[in-house]
Amino acid sequence: MGGLLSYFRSLIGSREMRILILGLDGAGKTTILYRLQVGEVVTTIPTIGFNVEQVTYKNLKFQVWDLGGQTSIRPYWRCYYSNTDAIIYVVDSVDKDRIGISKQELVSMLEEEELKGAILAVLANKQDMEGAMSVAEVHQALGLDLLRNRTFQIFKTSAIKGEGLDQAMDWLSNALQSRK
Amino acid sequence: MYHLLSGFYKYLFQLDEYYVLILGLDNAGKSTYLEAAKTHFTKNYKALNPNKITSTVGLNIGVIDTDGCSLNFWDLGGQEELQSLWDKYYAESHAVIYVVDAFDRDRIEESKAVFDKMIASELLKGIPLLVLANKQDLQDSMGVREVKPIFNQNAHLIGQRDCMVMPVSALNGDGVDEGIKWLVQCVKRNNVVRPPRNQSDN
Repeated sequence: MGGLLSYFRSLIGSREMRILILGLDGAGKTTILYRLQVGEVVTTIPTIGFNVEQVTYKNLKFQVWDLGGQTSIRPYWRCYYSNTDAIIYVVDSVDKDRIGISKQELVSMLEEEELKGAILAVLANKQDMEGAMSVAEVHQALGLDLLRNRTFQIFKTSAIKGEGLDQAMDWLSNALQSRK
Repeated sequence: MYHLLSGFYKYLFQLDEYYVLILGLDNAGKSTYLEAAKTHFTKNYKALNPNKITSTVGLNIGVIDTDGCSLNFWDLGGQEELQSLWDKYYAESHAVIYVVDAFDRDRIEESKAVFDKMIASELLKGIPLLVLANKQDLQDSMGVREVKPIFNQNAHLIGQRDCMVMPVSALNGDGVDEGIKWLVQCVKRNNVVRPPRNQSDN
């Protein structure tokens, strides 16, 4: 019976996609979440715990989880991994000192069995600032060439100016729809 | 006993895994080609709408099973900035598909220069090359007869490896089957030089 119900639900095609926004503290995750939801820049404080919002983009519904990025709470990311369709990984493109740590977190996250089927969008954020790393630099610094069995895409974004987020959401919604 | 049985099962049913790189300039049609290949070789595959394919900055993957082997595709971004990342994949690739925009006469020389740089790499020595003159659906596109001489100029770089230029339209799927079939033959023939992934693991 439940199978029948979920079959009909899949015909309507309105299953919410589950997306996690992850990245180091201060990368701009919360700003991105609210940019997506309300379309404007909100003042944020460092997230301890999480924010979750429903985001509608071009008639598709996403349940977007923004998890706190500080060192002490990163171990709790794994509690949210199950049933994730996509990961938005946010990088502060100006913070060259900590890109190595960001890489380690990304690598260990992607090793998780529960995230095996999730697609990845890397947002090279803060492109409005001077000295921001280019796409190729971010690619190299995060060691993305070691990802051989996962579809991923890098986007240059500026959450403050709202640039690049539409492209990322466009890509995510197309890629997720074809995967269903 | 378990290992014997599981080994026997693998021997019977496991497909040889080959990895295929899809390269070429930006806007050549690499991702569209990958979607077309998946559509042709996967039952009930729901392809992306070609209009919604944007320029790749990253990696698209795809797997098709045909003729007793499993082809894993890596479709990389073709923008100039991203070309420096291609060589990271060379050592593990069993074949390269190089997609050329046969409609864009202005950039054919650029495409050829990038191609030459790629095939000069030691890591790709002996690896089969399939050059696709894409966008044959457009009236004014160059045919194989025009594209082939351009890409065969540096025969010494191509050397002994299998190299084929074929016409294709990634948009309507013409020529996709033929290309994949040719490629499968080549990687199988070449498997002494570069064995499939699952065999080299053992």
